[in-house]
Amino acid sequence: MKAIIRCLPFLALLLLLVGCQSKESEGNEKVQLFLDWTPNTNHTGIYVAKEKGYFEEEGLDVEIMLPGEVSTEQIIGSGKGQFGISFQSQVTQARSENIPIVSVAAIIQNDTSGYYTPKSKGIKTPKDFEGRVYGAYGSELEKASLQAIMDKEGGDASKINMVQVGNTDYFIAMERDIDFVSIFYAWTGIEGEIRGADMNFIQSADYAPELDTYSPLIITSDEMIEKNPETVQAFINAVFKGYEFAINNPEEAADILIAAEPDLNPELVKRSQEWLSPRYKEGAEAWGIQEASRWENYANFMIKNQIIEGVDIQKAFNNEFITNAMK
Amino acid sequence: MKIKSLWKPALALLIAIALWELATKLFQIEVWLLPAPSTIAQEMVIVFPAFLPHMLATIKLVLVGFSSAIVLGIIVATLLHIFPTAREIVMPFLIISQNIPTIVLAPLFMIWFGLGDFPKYLIIAMTAFFPITIATLDGFGQTNRDLMHYMQMMGATKKQTFFKLQLPDAVPSIFSGIKIAATYSVMTAVVAEWLGAQKGIGVFMTLSASSYRTSRVFVAIVVTIILSLAFFGLFLALEKWFTRWKRNEGAQ
Repeated sequence: MKAIIRCLPFLALLLLLVGCQSKESEGNEKVQLFLDWTPNTNHTGIYVAKEKGYFEEEGLDVEIMLPGEVSTEQIIGSGKGQFGISFQSQVTQARSENIPIVSVAAIIQNDTSGYYTPKSKGIKTPKDFEGRVYGAYGSELEKASLQAIMDKEGGDASKINMVQVGNTDYFIAMERDIDFVSIFYAWTGIEGEIRGADMNFIQSADYAPELDTYSPLIITSDEMIEKNPETVQAFINAVFKGYEFAINNPEEAADILIAAEPDLNPELVKRSQEWLSPRYKEGAEAWGIQEASRWENYANFMIKNQIIEGVDIQKAFNNEFITNAMK
Repeated sequence: MKIKSLWKPALALLIAIALWELATKLFQIEVWLLPAPSTIAQEMVIVFPAFLPHMLATIKLVLVGFSSAIVLGIIVATLLHIFPTAREIVMPFLIISQNIPTIVLAPLFMIWFGLGDFPKYLIIAMTAFFPITIATLDGFGQTNRDLMHYMQMMGATKKQTFFKLQLPDAVPSIFSGIKIAATYSVMTAVVAEWLGAQKGIGVFMTLSASSYRTSRVFVAIVVTIILSLAFFGLFLALEKWFTRWKRNEGAQ
């Protein structure tokens, strides 16, 4: 009897947990979206769709998940999650390893990444990278990408000293041994502006057009498209509306993201959103559309640099859901 | 542990590997999810030339970091033993030092000390020196009281008592601390590298994981295990050699 009484609190807790889980759904289909990184303005449209009830209108109950150190591509590929945020480079590499994921919408049309370096280091063009220390994030792609942007001026990427910096704060790392790092301007670049750091930014796509990838983008799995195309369509319809809203109302969209993720620096979110909103669908017919040629060019770049052996690139992306959402 | 008693775990391991191999074939598990042991073995052969520099970098890291931990651990324990007040003051901080997760500490160390090898030595030394210090202190506390009295009666100085009695008596304890620390020092090195390095098993792991080569991640895991075992074995052998007088004593 005593044992039962002792267990009661645990039993109550268990029931409570079970209760909480079943309460939320209310008939809506539960799906999980795995982010690529901590929440940022790349994800605004998704937060808008969630907070403004666009997902609910489509009959979805979306839970936004942080992947931590696990790769989103493998979570989605193995069916442990339905949707995820990834990058063209990751999707291409994953597809070449037979991970069944598909990009169903490009979040930003043009790649905003590039190399970031304090002005005092005297690095002005990619040629100046030679003999310097690069703070790598840890991908086989980095060397090839560096070589690609150095090619224009005949630079040699093998003369770069690559050091993996992991989770170290980039700005602090660059005050010490690191000379330059790779960043996304919309977030770290704006952060630098706010900190008043005196920096040079060398945009990759300016030097190597093949590096102009869709990054980030939204992925799902082959199996989802095959077995639950309605769910995928519903999801894309909602985020399509969400990003359209973020494009047209940067301020309000930023406030939604700040309210949903109060740990973010509000000033960074606001200024980043202002910078990013006009860029989401820049130069494209509609938000989310992907061009086959961009996928082919990048796959060829990866094959040429022996990062992958080969890939059936047509399976890596799908415009069907965006085209339907446009209607 | 005797060689004879090793056949049981070895057999269990073989059976587990066979089942794993069978399961991957039977359920057609994708390579990127869980590679078969045979795939991992093949990958190991293919990737070994590229992997070797990473492995050597890790071994160097562990050797330097761990030997500093041993020296540091024994010195700190000795000081704390000689000065009981210091022991009372320092002990809580030693325990606190073990409660900070490496994944948080490593980036901080890299900020403070740069991205060279030093912060990584520090991380390995910091995690490894704690069990060594504690075990050594324990060892000093368990000196044979009768022999202690004899030494004092014969008029031995504190220094003589320490070096001729307390320290030799503590050797088995020191080694049990070292063995505990040795089992996870390779792992600590890998985690430290993972958080910032140029070369090493940790770097190889990140690169492989980021390109979804799960079989290479397993190669790194297998090598980490082998290195850890080799390290443990090394100290086991050293312990036997250092405590051989004890066994001789028993035989007499």
